[in-house]
Amino acid sequence: MTQAGAPTIGLRDRFRSIEIDTRLLGMFGVLAVIWIGFHIMSNGNFITPRNLWNLSVQSASIGIMATGMVLIIVSRNIDLSVGAQLGFVGYTMAMLQTVWIPISLGMGLDQPFTWILTVVFGLAVGALIGLIQGFVVAYGGVPSFIVTLGGLLVWRGLIFQYAQGQTLAPLDSTFRLLGGGPAGSIGEVGSWAIGLVAIAGIIYTLFANRRRRRRYGFVFRPKWAELALGVIGTLAVLAAVWVVNSYGWPEQLAHDLYDRLGLPWPPGGVFLPVGIAYPVIIMLAVGLLMTYLTTRRRFGRNVFAIGGNPDAAVLSGINVRRTIMLTFGLMGVLAAISAVVQTARLNAAVTGLGVSNELDVISAAVIGGTSLSGGIGTIPGAILGAVVMQSLRSGMVILKFDSPVQDIVVGIVLVTAVGFDALLRRRST
Amino acid sequence: MSVRRVAVLFATVMVVGAACNAAAPTPTATPAPVATATAAPAGCVVGVSWNNYQEERWAKWDEPALKAAIEAGGGTYISNDAASSEETQASNIENLQTQGAQVLVVLAQNTSAVLPSVDAAIDAGIPVIAYDRLIESPRVLYTSFNNVEVGRMIAREIFALVPSGNYVIIKGNGADANSDFLRGGMEEIIGAAVTAGDINIVGETYTDNWTPSLAQTEMENFLTAANNDVQAVLSENDGMAGGVVAALEAQGLAGDVPVGGQDGDLAALNRVALGTQVVSVWKDARLLGDATGKAAIALCSDPDPSHVAGTATFHTPGDNDVAGILLDPLPVTKDNLSAVLDAGWITEEVLCQGVAAGTVTGCP
Repeated sequence: MTQAGAPTIGLRDRFRSIEIDTRLLGMFGVLAVIWIGFHIMSNGNFITPRNLWNLSVQSASIGIMATGMVLIIVSRNIDLSVGAQLGFVGYTMAMLQTVWIPISLGMGLDQPFTWILTVVFGLAVGALIGLIQGFVVAYGGVPSFIVTLGGLLVWRGLIFQYAQGQTLAPLDSTFRLLGGGPAGSIGEVGSWAIGLVAIAGIIYTLFANRRRRRRYGFVFRPKWAELALGVIGTLAVLAAVWVVNSYGWPEQLAHDLYDRLGLPWPPGGVFLPVGIAYPVIIMLAVGLLMTYLTTRRRFGRNVFAIGGNPDAAVLSGINVRRTIMLTFGLMGVLAAISAVVQTARLNAAVTGLGVSNELDVISAAVIGGTSLSGGIGTIPGAILGAVVMQSLRSGMVILKFDSPVQDIVVGIVLVTAVGFDALLRRRST
Repeated sequence: MSVRRVAVLFATVMVVGAACNAAAPTPTATPAPVATATAAPAGCVVGVSWNNYQEERWAKWDEPALKAAIEAGGGTYISNDAASSEETQASNIENLQTQGAQVLVVLAQNTSAVLPSVDAAIDAGIPVIAYDRLIESPRVLYTSFNNVEVGRMIAREIFALVPSGNYVIIKGNGADANSDFLRGGMEEIIGAAVTAGDINIVGETYTDNWTPSLAQTEMENFLTAANNDVQAVLSENDGMAGGVVAALEAQGLAGDVPVGGQDGDLAALNRVALGTQVVSVWKDARLLGDATGKAAIALCSDPDPSHVAGTATFHTPGDNDVAGILLDPLPVTKDNLSAVLDAGWITEEVLCQGVAAGTVTGCP
């Protein structure tokens, strides 16, 4: 038994020596299994450009919020109110663009500035909500579970109070582009440009890390490992861009577009690559910024220090209260960004907006390796967690599983993932 | 620190306790004057127990019609709100009786948990009307819209346009009996065509909490799986139909694939005018309030539910035969948009937003 176990530990150690996150690697493996499994079961309907593109858009809203939830959970708190915050901010933004600007101010619908005004206003409201909750948690000494449970009721109640069950639709035509769809995507050239920037970023990061480590006299990866990482990263980016560019505009939409532009419709039809959808670009940008914030900035390190050992954090001079309050403020902003994505995508604000999203967000963060006991968690893991969850849901819809069955499967996967993770952590220490 | 915290907690308990004490006597203090009023032979006191008055519908549409019908019949209207709590509703029903209610109208929070209170009232000789939501007792009068008929109406409008082809059915919450009533009605219309192979159901699912964004994701996935080969969509309500239309729009199919829903949501009626939704079945809550108010007055003089005009026997899922007044809703399509305008349900501005001039009757 010990002999059988020995080589795996050796492998783990080797991975550790070249600084590969085995957890993240494992998640990619799980994702591959899920995708291939669904692909076979759906007779080749899952790993198609169109479905993967859909999947990327469907994961965006939860993925964006999950990055913030990582920081909250890492600092040993929880935010149960993100779904209600999303609903409240989403509804407020919809009011702004369907009632307040066009009717109350008498400026009419579809003004060019409406969308940006709406987004800025929404982010401000989100930040304010988050900071209020964070203030009560950090300075009021009320447990975050209670504060955000109360917040859930308050924000949700406020929506019902002033929405009175009414759906607000349709939304501003520019704002809607932020929700994706072929028109709400960056197109072929833009996608390649983003891909090239990403590849340059990967290579630069590898070099910069190596140089920094050498300067400080840390161990660094062998050359072959760096090279392999660079090649794998580059290939992954190229593959992703190729996939989204292989999804073409639906014929009817392309036809409409040509009519609008006054172009003659070519007899054989036309293939217009859709490219990366705006919500996905937003999610990637958020993920990048949040990764930078958590691994390179003092704020992020403080959050992890607090989660690792709150007493030590206080003694080492970290302003714990301020940091905690800011994590909630950040969460509020991210919930507002997701509210933009969700309302724009649905082209409506409904009173049930974001209901039970908090559970999906927490699940995504936890499946992505965030430890509820604090101090451990990564941003890429959380985004990947969101993609895993959405893959399961989408795949089951395609296989025509009904929603109760989906809930059962997702529930079992959640507990299994966390249980498996706990087992691995116990073994490795 | 901890002493202070305990003190704060204690103070909070005191305040809450005081508030409860202050609130409790009010309902019991009122019966005296009302009781004397009922001593007069003419007036019939109708007590209404709302489960959740916060929802727009009850306050804005149901209550005024119900109250008007009761007062037009010479009765008195009293009411209270259970704030979505089964326990509160049980005590509310007792309070209404102590206030002298001779007929009870109950919008049940929970159709079975309310049974003991309802049974107690009927045993005390006070007839009970189950308003809009069924109460599983053979002794109540059930007034509602015919939900099976709503399902039939949605399917009928769509089936007339698409007698054969691939259908997607987006159902509501699996735990809600209405989802299955609606689906049952749809089956009556399209069932034969499905068996004959003319209609192929390429996607059908329940949707947790009737969530529109979930319906959108479901529709996207169904479209992907069917490679856009979908000719019609039956959605069990308008909110989810909105999600479906958003998914169709992303494929340039909105307006080409007929979508049906129900509720008369303002946004959905706008979609009907725009042509992206074919039908929204509208249940005018005011008709229900009016019919129920009249039934309540009738029960005051004759407490037997089956003697009320317009009742028919309704066989419930719980295997009870109940006297019921089931109103037929109105399917709103492009052809009869004036009905919702004339009824004051929606303004022309909201109905016709974005509609090209002269394309729809009812819009300028």
